[in-house]
Amino acid sequence: MKMLMLALRTLRREWHLPELRTLAASLVLAVVALGVVATLAARIERGMLASAAELIGGDIGIAAPQAVPATFATAARQRGLAIARIASFPSMAFAHRQSQLLEVEAVDAGYPLRGTLELSDAAGRDFRGHAPAPGEVYLDHRALVALQLKVGQRLQLGGRELTVGAELRRQPDGGELIALAPRALMSLSDAEQAGLLGVGSRARHRLLLAGTPSAVQDWRRWVRNNPLPPDAKLVTPEQTRQRMRSAFDRAGAFLRLAALLSALLAGVAIALAAQRYARRKSTEVALLRALGTSRRRVIGLLLGTLGALALPAATVGLLVALGLAQLAWLFASPLFGSVPTQLPLAPSFAAAAMGLAVLAGFALPPLVRLADVPPVAVFRQSMPRRVRRFDALYLIPVLVALGLIWNQSSSPRLAAILAASLLGVALLAALLTGSLLWLARRLAPGAHPALRLGLAALARRRGLSVIQASALSLGLCALLLLAVVAPALLRGWRQELPADTPNWFAMNLQDAQRGSFEQAIEGIGGAHLNMLPLAVGKLTAINGQPVDRIDFGDPRTNDSADRQLRLSWSTRLPAANRVVAGRWAGAHPEHAEVSIDTVWRDRFHLKLGDTLRFRVGESRIDARIGSIRKVDWSSFRVSFFLLLDPAHARELPHTWLASFYLPRGHARALAGLSRDYTNVSLIDVDALLDRVREIVDRVGNAVRWILGFSLLAGALVLAAALAASAAERRHEAALLRTLGARRAQLRAAAACEFALLGLVAGLTAAIGAAGAGLWLGRAIFHIDGFTPPLRPLLLAALICAVVIMLLGLAGTRRVTRTSPMRLLRED
Amino acid sequence: MNDSSRPLLQACDVSKSVSGPEGRLDILRKINLQIHAGESFAIVGASGSGKTTLLGLLAGLDTPDQGSIQLHGHALEQLDEEARADLRRRLVGFVFQSFHLLPALTAEENVMLPLELEGSGSARARAREALEAVGLGARRKHYPAQLSGGEQQRVAIARAFVHRPQLLFADEPTGNLDQRTGHHICDLLFALNRDHRTTLVLVTHDATLAARCNRGLELEEGRVLAPLKDASA
Repeated sequence: MKMLMLALRTLRREWHLPELRTLAASLVLAVVALGVVATLAARIERGMLASAAELIGGDIGIAAPQAVPATFATAARQRGLAIARIASFPSMAFAHRQSQLLEVEAVDAGYPLRGTLELSDAAGRDFRGHAPAPGEVYLDHRALVALQLKVGQRLQLGGRELTVGAELRRQPDGGELIALAPRALMSLSDAEQAGLLGVGSRARHRLLLAGTPSAVQDWRRWVRNNPLPPDAKLVTPEQTRQRMRSAFDRAGAFLRLAALLSALLAGVAIALAAQRYARRKSTEVALLRALGTSRRRVIGLLLGTLGALALPAATVGLLVALGLAQLAWLFASPLFGSVPTQLPLAPSFAAAAMGLAVLAGFALPPLVRLADVPPVAVFRQSMPRRVRRFDALYLIPVLVALGLIWNQSSSPRLAAILAASLLGVALLAALLTGSLLWLARRLAPGAHPALRLGLAALARRRGLSVIQASALSLGLCALLLLAVVAPALLRGWRQELPADTPNWFAMNLQDAQRGSFEQAIEGIGGAHLNMLPLAVGKLTAINGQPVDRIDFGDPRTNDSADRQLRLSWSTRLPAANRVVAGRWAGAHPEHAEVSIDTVWRDRFHLKLGDTLRFRVGESRIDARIGSIRKVDWSSFRVSFFLLLDPAHARELPHTWLASFYLPRGHARALAGLSRDYTNVSLIDVDALLDRVREIVDRVGNAVRWILGFSLLAGALVLAAALAASAAERRHEAALLRTLGARRAQLRAAAACEFALLGLVAGLTAAIGAAGAGLWLGRAIFHIDGFTPPLRPLLLAALICAVVIMLLGLAGTRRVTRTSPMRLLRED
Repeated sequence: MNDSSRPLLQACDVSKSVSGPEGRLDILRKINLQIHAGESFAIVGASGSGKTTLLGLLAGLDTPDQGSIQLHGHALEQLDEEARADLRRRLVGFVFQSFHLLPALTAEENVMLPLELEGSGSARARAREALEAVGLGARRKHYPAQLSGGEQQRVAIARAFVHRPQLLFADEPTGNLDQRTGHHICDLLFALNRDHRTTLVLVTHDATLAARCNRGLELEEGRVLAPLKDASA
């Protein structure tokens, strides 16, 4: 208690010290930056999850080949969750003597729980609607065209007479890319009454749920203890299709990266301020030790003072973070759609805890080391300290930084990349600064007077210069990553889906229809038409051994070996495919060859040279594995696990799969195409493309918001770095003024010194950010061919160097005005 | 200007005060003195008597509230800080009680500082000469922390003399040294004063040291208590 009172008194007395204020401000900013970023990121992630929920129509669900047992719905209702039931099945529809196989979804009145059902009426006006009432059905455009129907007319479906209530424009559908048949949405009660869902039906069932996040979590926990029926699986927003999932993963990684970099920036500022405070305290500690204070008591007093400073600062940071997060959300929420998300409190409290950990990690080492100050130092300040007992303490900030990186990174790989990059930047900066100082000592005598004084000043504070340059480099690297590399990564991501990405697929095209179809597409303004043959077959043997006699050791693999599979062939390696082993077969290999995707290689334990036998209709083909490919499944291109060589596969029975780009507004022209090619199924993926593009844009907006806070943290690092050498600077300035230095001389020297410091920091930061960006782009965000924007990086680094110089000069204005009388007073 | 009959440094009715929590505090009151080229002059007095303030004013580190100080014919109070710095660089050298060497520079580099400020091309050679003159030629590559207090003060003296100033201000130059070392340092200062005809203004509370000067004055509570020796000027 006595110690606490003493610590509080010390804090009150020392509050005027700039480094203590910097320490408090750094902690506040660390908590604010971490808190605001984490809160925003949590809300945005929650918003995105909600966006994914819109895709599946609920927060969570169960999909099963038979009706989901009532206990699951009851458990959901008990937890206050809303429920909706859906059954989907293929069914023939009849109208005007036309018939068409439809993919029918029968839904109850609760559907959709999340997302909207977009419909259009007889006049073509779009509106948002609810599930169809009994006796009503909604048909998509293809179904209306195929059955020659208009909204308001009647059709027969499942033996019931139904009225077309509206045209189905868009529905929460899980982001499924390939829906084989035109779609219809009808009432679940109609389907039940028509006996479409009875025993022996081919219907698949879904139970969708929605409610508060805690209720959903609670239900998930309950499901863990109550096994799902056989073949049933949980449908979660996180599991939306591969294409969407990769978008969500990238989005999360971006946001966490931004938060992490801000936190590390604040850590660097804290470390610099603590270092300076410790230096100032060394005389006092020597005096206390000389007066008989024990080492333990000294440490207790120092830690008590730090604690007395830290707790209120963390509280202030917490409150400011909550307030700012709320304010930021008011401005930012329109960018993320009207997603109802509450202000999450947990991230801010976690940020306060992390801020304290950062403070402890970065500030403790220099302060605890003060215990090493010998009492004799009271007589001679310059006495060298040789005790290395506490040097290991400097591992603490490294461990805290690694812990933060681990905590905030979505993957160990991202953590490793960031940790290695930042460490690399710090080492490079230290090395470069060291070399520069070495050079400076040699060049200084012959240089221009201002440059000589600047170089001498840098060289004089050798240790501090290295620390300053490293801290500034780290700070700048983080800022460059956020300001230059992140937008470039986003641009790279966006470019994966250029405006003319194929947005329509046509399936089931026959050989004879190819030519005329191509002309028809051109005729309605379509472009980038690409056709691939599609054969449906089965894998029958691997290296001569029948597949049904091979045990792959995993029921799912055994099951998938038994399924029908799609085969294609091509002379050239298709886009979004990369050969990782072997050689692409080309058009005319001597023997039949197949190229397999890495997923297949791993699933069936295959290697180059293995022979696979396929049966397609009545034909049989034995093909040797000539190459193994890595397919980017997140691209919106048609890709296949298995590609045969064209020379040997040409004769297999097949249809054609076409993809093409059709500008928006031309879709109506497809109605005629549907009439002319009744066997062809047309699939629109615009909605899915829109979703992914939307996610990219949202992340871009979020990163911009977060960048603002990181800039503040960066400014604080700069201020702390400058303040770190302020005392030495003032003393030197006073001495040089006494010796007759002109103010302009001091200013020019400071300009040279800071320009050099800025140049080293900017250069190493640019190199670090480019390296990390390259690594991140390739390894984490999987953006093929991503190269960091080198020129903007270098330009930004140069601007940073100039800013550091100007801010350094502004910061030394007071120093150059230091009265030379100060020296006499110090005696 | 260089007329030997004119004093090199002259103070007329110089006063200085500061405002503290208990009102205005007069540090110096109507001080008058004249110091001629080549003289050695001591300012003595107890702690708080205003010695250091007077030294600061005489060296142009600060300006008086009232009165005038002429250095080499220039009225210091009429010059701005830049002009005073210029004058200091050309005419003045300093030796401090705490030496004030820059810890990251070697002895030689510390001595080079005033020459570098002048933009002198032969700074290194002249610094070596100066260090030889104070008997530290062999220690020129040593850092201050590797030198004893006496050696540090000798480096400071070399720095003060390296650009051949006309006037050397020494503020308690032996205050941080033992008697024997202090004695050596004084011998050095007076030898340089004699050999180079450098005017020496010494602030000290050591009566023996003051006694070695040609003239001087004693301060008490900001006033001249008594002139020392023939302080008729």
